[in-house]
Amino acid sequence: MSLEDLKKIPYGKTAIELKNISLAFGGVKALTDVSFDVKKGEVFAIIGPNGAGKSSMLNVINGFYKPTSGTINFAGTDRNEMEPELAAKSGIARTFQNIALFKGMSTLDNLMTGRLLKQKQNFIMQALYFGPVAKEEEEHRERVERVIDFLDLQSIRRTPVGSLPYGLQKRVELGRALAMEPEILLLDEPMAGMNVEEKQDMSRFVLTVNNELKTTIVLIEHDMGVVMDISDRIVVLDYGKKIGSGLPKEIRNNKAVIDAYLGVSDD
Amino acid sequence: MIYKETGQYKSSYKSDHAIFPLLQDKIAFSTLMFIAFLIIPFVINSYWEKAILVPFLIFSLAAIGLNILTGYCGQVSLGTGGFMAVGAFSTYKIMTYFPDMNIMIIILISGLITAAVGIIFGLPSLRIKGFYLAVATLASQFFLVWLFNKVPWFYNYSDTGQITVSERTMFGIPVTGAEAPSYATYLFCLVLVVLLSFAAKNLIRSKMGRSWMAIRDMDIAAEIIGVPPLKTKLSAFAISSFYIGVAGALYFAVFLGAIEVTESFDIMTISFPVLFMIIIGGLGSMLGSFLGAAFVVTLPIGLKFLMVDMVGLSAVTAKHFEITIWGLLMIVFLIVEPHGLARLWSIAKEKLRRWPFPY
Repeated sequence: MSLEDLKKIPYGKTAIELKNISLAFGGVKALTDVSFDVKKGEVFAIIGPNGAGKSSMLNVINGFYKPTSGTINFAGTDRNEMEPELAAKSGIARTFQNIALFKGMSTLDNLMTGRLLKQKQNFIMQALYFGPVAKEEEEHRERVERVIDFLDLQSIRRTPVGSLPYGLQKRVELGRALAMEPEILLLDEPMAGMNVEEKQDMSRFVLTVNNELKTTIVLIEHDMGVVMDISDRIVVLDYGKKIGSGLPKEIRNNKAVIDAYLGVSDD
Repeated sequence: MIYKETGQYKSSYKSDHAIFPLLQDKIAFSTLMFIAFLIIPFVINSYWEKAILVPFLIFSLAAIGLNILTGYCGQVSLGTGGFMAVGAFSTYKIMTYFPDMNIMIIILISGLITAAVGIIFGLPSLRIKGFYLAVATLASQFFLVWLFNKVPWFYNYSDTGQITVSERTMFGIPVTGAEAPSYATYLFCLVLVVLLSFAAKNLIRSKMGRSWMAIRDMDIAAEIIGVPPLKTKLSAFAISSFYIGVAGALYFAVFLGAIEVTESFDIMTISFPVLFMIIIGGLGSMLGSFLGAAFVVTLPIGLKFLMVDMVGLSAVTAKHFEITIWGLLMIVFLIVEPHGLARLWSIAKEKLRRWPFPY
């Protein structure tokens, strides 16, 4: 599996397939026998009540957790575990539920870190900083500036991200993931804690990325309005088990999903 | 109004990413270089060389080294003295085996040897962080000093355990040994410090530096974007040790001339003062490394002048006061300005930018 394999897959065909994934931490079963597939170019949502195992699922996809059993088919190749670095190399980027930015660095530098894997010059050349290194830096800077333009981050380019407000930090984190020019973007609650305007902005960014760059998006979100509006397909987890999957309108009428969210009535 | 950037438009990413993007900074830096290279060598005397300028340059280099590791990559180290000793003893051994080798090359090779040792002692950093890593590096400090004391091969079986530098020249002028003129030792250190500082700054503003800072600020996120933690931490250890090794080599060969390892590379004479330098100067700042080194080198001289020459205290009492003042200063800095002198400077710059208007 590699970035090339992933790029070759036509849009609408399966990019990642998760087969019977189980994940246990000692006696705690975070995921039990979960299977679903993500098609290339779609917006795929993972929803479920708190503690359903959604974030664990993302962590399995990008190699943070090794599944106890089950296989991941990534771009046509079976594998039962990933390494985070390998995932990054094969075009998977992600954002975190609790912002994981580099707080001491400026917005620009944070976004530039997204380009690290693509910078090839060795450290001696970097220390001398002439010709090829300077050219490479400028090239990547230009890419990053496009992301800055897209996400409207111009005014905070030089600001250390630690001092930015929450909504902007979320946006910078999306920017860092976008700077990697990923094929698959994993978003862990990108709209958590935002007000309506910020949610609208973020939804627009996600949809634009999906439409213009054809990036596959896997997203976890609690705001049902947003999820139903922007996602193509949805999978629902509850207590580590898959309880439903399908198009938004199917999920809306799914009995098991309604029970999981609202509780089962006694009668 | 003095420091305003208005009207200085950058038309390329290159000029925006320059080391000194502002005209004022360029002028200040050129003036400083002019004074350092073309005025000081003609007026320098032995006191200025031995007491202030050469130690300042050498400790600046050590501070840059430690700042790369601690300030930029977030790995606390207390092993500076041990690593400087590696640099010093490598220089001594290479000098004995290759009497004809150029001193500049010897010192750079000593740096590389120290880098290799740094990588070995950096290995635990993958598993342990913070305080625990500091203690692990403390072990390297004690181990290395013990090693150079215990194995006579390192000091060529001399009776005293001392190592003494022999005379080496650059362009026919001696830069090491007792005969070396003040301007020569000063210029030799200055050239190395300027070149290596630019190299460090370049590393910091390109891929390597961003990897280090990513590991420092959030190692999990760094891994997600494809920064390998082990490789990045070890590269910080290696490059930091290279700088510290070169500083140790200069400290021995150019500055002191003869050393005894337990005395010269003790934790209290090297490791802690260099750590103070980067804390007082500013963690994660090149300018901070220089400011911190200048502060730590000149403060005892200033205090001695004040207490012994002005007030008339006895030298011993003054020394006691000095240690107390040190402790006090550390606490004050950690509480009042944890980002050190470099931050004070940037606040001053901000004020100068607006001056004479309040905002």
